[in-house]
Amino acid sequence: MVRNPVKDQVAIVGIGSTGFTRTNERSALALGLAAATQAIGDAGLRAADIDGVVAVAEPGAPTPQMFASSLGLDTVTHWTRPSPVVMFAIVDAVNAIHSGCADTVLIVSSMLRLPWASRSAASDPFRRRSGSAVPRVPEDIGLAPAYAAWASRYLHEFGVTREAWGRIAVNGRSNALRNPLAAIRTPITLHDYEAARMVREPLCMLDMDLPVDGADAFVLTAAARAKTMPHSPVLVHAIATGMVGENTEDQLGGLARHGQHVVVEQLKAKSDFWIDDVDVYYPYDGFTIITAAWIENTGWCGIGQAGRFLRDHWVDAEARVLIGGRVPINSHGGSLSEGATRGTGHVREAVVQLRGEAGERQVEGARTALVTPGGFFLNAQGALLRRA
Amino acid sequence: MTETTTPSDAELVERLSHLPVERDTAEHYRGYLRRELVMSRCADCGRWHHPMRPMCPACWSWNVAPTAVSGRGTVHLFIVLYQGPPAEGVDYAKAPHPVVTVQLAEQEGLRFTGTMVDCALDEIRIGMPVQLTWIERHGSPYPAFRPAATPGAA
Repeated sequence: MVRNPVKDQVAIVGIGSTGFTRTNERSALALGLAAATQAIGDAGLRAADIDGVVAVAEPGAPTPQMFASSLGLDTVTHWTRPSPVVMFAIVDAVNAIHSGCADTVLIVSSMLRLPWASRSAASDPFRRRSGSAVPRVPEDIGLAPAYAAWASRYLHEFGVTREAWGRIAVNGRSNALRNPLAAIRTPITLHDYEAARMVREPLCMLDMDLPVDGADAFVLTAAARAKTMPHSPVLVHAIATGMVGENTEDQLGGLARHGQHVVVEQLKAKSDFWIDDVDVYYPYDGFTIITAAWIENTGWCGIGQAGRFLRDHWVDAEARVLIGGRVPINSHGGSLSEGATRGTGHVREAVVQLRGEAGERQVEGARTALVTPGGFFLNAQGALLRRA
Repeated sequence: MTETTTPSDAELVERLSHLPVERDTAEHYRGYLRRELVMSRCADCGRWHHPMRPMCPACWSWNVAPTAVSGRGTVHLFIVLYQGPPAEGVDYAKAPHPVVTVQLAEQEGLRFTGTMVDCALDEIRIGMPVQLTWIERHGSPYPAFRPAATPGAA
């Protein structure tokens, strides 16, 4: 039996973001503090109001105790350092607030490009020494290469082309054009996608998210308390993470059942509404194949049908998708074009839209959001958010 | 070259410093030196596991033993790396590096990932039969796959 005792009990009341860039000389701590102070201010709060700190364990990112001391917090009753992707942090904050471990929790996710991920990052003497000491070989398809590997299987099993992935890449970039926080704001076309350099065939440069520097922060508190705060609270209606036992990348049973399926089952059972009632939609796009899989596994279309679905809902004049002529996909540009925030950008943009503060990106009357960060193996997750 | 004596744990870690050798996977890597692809197999229920597991995930038996697989199977996943981790004998700029995940004959879902040799890139296909072979990397044998010998051919 699936339970949901936290339904609508906790609200996101503050957001802050540095924006994302590929040229940055600030430290992960400085970026995190900039986002954190902005989020606390956005919630109408001060340092003394924060008693929980969740600092996402991005490589080289500051610990919760460093944020507590650097922000001059007074008394802290809950602090953790969850793995990326974003929803582990949100789940933790929701649980801490609902259980009484903390009243008001700050989440900070601060990221710096790893030296091996970018030539400019490699030239930074302070980050050359970071990164993993475990030797990796070309034949290890763990982590990122696994998505290219299963992408090969996707093409094989469904007899489709790379069309869906191209549309996801172009859609992200077209949406980023309207987002001042985005790292890249130059348009691309499906032709550019076809011509892009292969990196891990069948995935090319434009199938992969963009390594960036920057930070996002969130403030969450009990829904009852949120009513007195400056912005319309955004309620966490349902939240889930999902994994199957055989999750080793090359041993995964197959595309028919993995973490995404578990998340979808959980969310459907926990929520009062589903995709027919969703106004804005944020499927993860660390790789385009992940987005195609989310779209299919969430039930927007059949398995292997993402290409046709995106073509059917494509708005040529805007070079992007509007489902049913209305619901955008990753209206901020996603990890592909805003930058590889590991899902914090997706949650932040959902909050901005549900508050009605998205300016030229605003979806009229947006009241509900579906956010599904993560991939297949170890970090599939999702949440349904709604405006109070 | 193929070893005749069994190296100690310390020798193994030193010898294969380019590989992520850990306590639970040591026998897998020690097998490389004998040109055997070793995985763990449960002596009670017969299930194979890769990566090696200290306890059988299927029946929770601790009676698991390092056992060599045949190395026969079919290509299940296939990528071509145009960039990636450095490795001896791999020059991405000159020759994009193929990596295949092979569904092994021993058990549905039991797979091993390696590079493909003796086969042009554009001839590699998901579903093609392959067999284990060995290449040299950093002076030690390293597993790879090649197209399966056609029955009846030399």
